[in-house]
Amino acid sequence: MGSAVKIEKLSFSYTPDKPVLKEVSLEVKPGEKLGIIGRSGAGKSTLLLHLNGILSGSGTVSIDGTKVEKKSLYQVRKKVGLVFQNPDDQLFNPTVEEDIAFGPLNFGLSREESAARVKEALNAMNLEGLEKSVSHHLSLGERKRVALATVLAMQPEVIAFDEPFSSLDPEMVVQLINIIGGLDATLVVVSQSLLPLLSCCNRLAVISEGEIIAHGPREEVVKNDELMKRSGMDMSFYREIFRDYF
Amino acid sequence: MKHSFIDKYSDLDSPVHRLDPRIKTLTALCLILIIVSETRGELFPFLFYIPVIGVIAAVSRIPWGYIMKRCLVVAPFILLTALFYPLSGMLTSDFRSLGSYNHEYMVGISIFLKAYSALILLIVLTSTEKFHNILLGLRKLKMPKLIGIISALMYRYVFLIHDEILRTNMARDSRTTGKLKMSRLKVYGNQSAMVFVRSFERSQTLYNSMLSRGFNGEFPSMSRLSLKGKELLFAGALIMLVLAIRLANQNIQNYLFN
Repeated sequence: MGSAVKIEKLSFSYTPDKPVLKEVSLEVKPGEKLGIIGRSGAGKSTLLLHLNGILSGSGTVSIDGTKVEKKSLYQVRKKVGLVFQNPDDQLFNPTVEEDIAFGPLNFGLSREESAARVKEALNAMNLEGLEKSVSHHLSLGERKRVALATVLAMQPEVIAFDEPFSSLDPEMVVQLINIIGGLDATLVVVSQSLLPLLSCCNRLAVISEGEIIAHGPREEVVKNDELMKRSGMDMSFYREIFRDYF
Repeated sequence: MKHSFIDKYSDLDSPVHRLDPRIKTLTALCLILIIVSETRGELFPFLFYIPVIGVIAAVSRIPWGYIMKRCLVVAPFILLTALFYPLSGMLTSDFRSLGSYNHEYMVGISIFLKAYSALILLIVLTSTEKFHNILLGLRKLKMPKLIGIISALMYRYVFLIHDEILRTNMARDSRTTGKLKMSRLKVYGNQSAMVFVRSFERSQTLYNSMLSRGFNGEFPSMSRLSLKGKELLFAGALIMLVLAIRLANQNIQNYLFN
């Protein structure tokens, strides 16, 4: 079986003296749900932007065998959907419907096909009836789901999420976990919320100072206390809380 | 953040709202051209233009308060232009001949009326149609693609900047008691700088999100434009009416002065 995402020796820096990614290598098999954890500034979001060709560093990134480069951007962006951390950064059209149809129309679908995709994506996100709503008049939870719907409507093979659980109330987090867990695509989820990540991903990678320091089944990675501490997660702290209160 | 839009009344239903955006834009532009090309200093035809514009605005159901409020925004510029015309005439001539400046006054007033007539027509146009539909209509009317993209992005980024202003206002007000004193004007300077830096960064992310969904310089839309015969007829009749006022006035002038 080939790889849905294959990253080899990827390095990137915004300023010459400060590398954000250092020779990162990572492989995600089709259908896998990979969670990436790490401290703030560890390079998680920067790594995601490479999957879609928005950033390009040295090394190679391939999506389903297609190398991410200038000439393949159209194909790559069709295959990889990016869900940004802040839905306001993703929603820019006057209505929810226009926003969700933006991707499908750009990739050459007819209005009828796009309308069908919009309907399907709204149903999947429990947002029926909001087609004509103005995106930034919706609640944060709704905006997050609309942002996800904009990507689902493109039916990508790989969906990359940047901090999907941030700023959501617990009920909404559970709803989103169920939605993400039920998606029929290869997922790469970047988050600092360990528990939701563990619930919806079957593999876990730890990134620290621009390097992948661990990658494997979630059970194995999460039990390595030393590793988790390096990624900013002191598991003994959580264990104490659970022991005391639950 | 919630803020108002220039097209916030575009969801109302009226005969003006139902017009195809192409027809609406072309009609507004024709009416503006006819009115602003009226002979300088001629006030008489405005006795007819103003009721026509008033009827269009009333039929559109856009609240008069809203139209007036938006007119006020540009009032200083229009008033200054209208006032400076007769003033410039006076400054370059002998003050003893002030009485002969009636024509200059008339020109000043006609500048004022022309500007406000055009403005009200533009307010009605932009308020009765979604902005993206106006752009779509203009694109169908062969407006250059680049201008379309710049306009669309400007419209989106204006809200982004407004959003940042509201956020930074909240942050500032939450730590300010009463009005900000003059001695602390620096705060406004810092805030403005932050608004632009933050807006720039957000616009980058927004652009990235557009790229990630295949943006290639076009803003595709789900809206369909349909041109109806009776809309063309209505627009044609309106343009003919205003043109008739314009030509009739010219003929009356020719008759009186020849």
